[in-house]
Amino acid sequence: MRTASTSPATGTGCEPGFRGVICVSFGTTEALKNHSTGGVPRQDLRFASANPEALATLRSVLGRSRVGVRLVLAGPPADVHAAASAAAECGLVDEEITLLCDEVGPRVVFCGHCHTSTTTDHPIGTDVDCQGCATTLTFTDHFSRRVGGYLGFSAHAEEAA
Amino acid sequence: MTATALQTKVQQVVEGTLQLEVTNVSVQTDSITSITFGDPLGEVLPCYVPGSHLVVQYGSGANAYSLTGSGSAPTEYSISVLRVDGGSGGSLAMHALSVGDRVQVSHPRSAFAPAATAKHHLLIAAGIGITPVLSHARYAAEWGASASLIYVHRPGTGAHVAEARELLGSGLTECMDRGSFQEVLTRRLTTQKLGTHLYVCGPTAFMDSVLEQARDLGWPKGLLHSEAFSGAALDDGEPFAVNLARSGVKLDVPAGVSLLETLENAGLSVPNMCRKGICGECSVPVLRGKPLHRDLYLTDQEKEDNTAMMCCVSRSLDKELELDL
Repeated sequence: MRTASTSPATGTGCEPGFRGVICVSFGTTEALKNHSTGGVPRQDLRFASANPEALATLRSVLGRSRVGVRLVLAGPPADVHAAASAAAECGLVDEEITLLCDEVGPRVVFCGHCHTSTTTDHPIGTDVDCQGCATTLTFTDHFSRRVGGYLGFSAHAEEAA
Repeated sequence: MTATALQTKVQQVVEGTLQLEVTNVSVQTDSITSITFGDPLGEVLPCYVPGSHLVVQYGSGANAYSLTGSGSAPTEYSISVLRVDGGSGGSLAMHALSVGDRVQVSHPRSAFAPAATAKHHLLIAAGIGITPVLSHARYAAEWGASASLIYVHRPGTGAHVAEARELLGSGLTECMDRGSFQEVLTRRLTTQKLGTHLYVCGPTAFMDSVLEQARDLGWPKGLLHSEAFSGAALDDGEPFAVNLARSGVKLDVPAGVSLLETLENAGLSVPNMCRKGICGECSVPVLRGKPLHRDLYLTDQEKEDNTAMMCCVSRSLDKELELDL
């Protein structure tokens, strides 16, 4: 994963030969404003967040697209990761997707017990209460690209036992 | 002496293999014959991933052949072999097989698997390259996966044409000459939906051309799959030396002699199979020096790492290599 501070033009998603770029921005990010696509056609999409409606739109855009295009996702990590997960479900491979995550922003913690996703501003290695089952979850840098979130597991489970 | 040398080699080849019986031989075309192997006791054979190949032993050598079945709970293994007069002899030996003959074969080996995440499989085959691709087509038909096939063959010389037509229906495009293939290829490469993976098998120049065009049209490497069935013709190479760190031996590898042969002549036993840089069996660890990688097994990254080399075909860029042997 690359951060917004990395020069987008050097991204692995934009090697010579690609025939178009779908640029998706979430929230208020301006990361793609000056994103160079090397002169190939560019389609811009902007969503407030990666909510189900936005992801459905993204899926339908990808469903109409042809091999040869690249997808660039920019914005808060939680939104970018959710969109990357949807793109992977559509069959896109890593080389086709460039992630430009904001340096800071909320993360998604995926509860290993009830499978509910909780969005939090807490840093990695801390605890958060699960919105689904109210369990206090610890999360580390164990990240799932499929669910687009960090694994949360019952805090202090060993001590309780 | 010859008999002993032969025996050593045979043992290496048959390690962890199956002894099977030829259960059917059927002529596909003037030069292509299908051979089916089964367990002599009728047992179910190990299943395999579509696109897998089998290493079949003949005399003192062994060749890899693609399996043409889908691989699910197979009771038989089928290969189709193009007779190559003036080749190393494997295809002639295969064509000489008849029902009831016993052969030693490896377990199926997968190096051309379908991508599990693919939404569509675009299969491209030329000539005898149809064999692993037919395996993919059968698998797709069996599991309801989306697949299409461009099959380049000259009229009357294509193997498995009837099966391909039955399996793929309108998803099959047959091309009889280079011009019409080029037209179809360009159209397909520019109109595939995202999530399509491409699989190509055929002569080396054919595959190189397809893969290069795909890359030029923006297909990332991760979507491109190819199955080489012949190693490139390699030159004799420059002489070099190897320093075997663990055994404290230094050996000279003359031009025209492989490192594998040099190691064997020095009494070292290195597991090996295809001896063509395809199977990956004869990998040796490199401690120092830059190998001249000439195999088709290691990835580009692994070749850059210079920590392993296929001693059957690869040589050295430096005057001397140090190996962990």
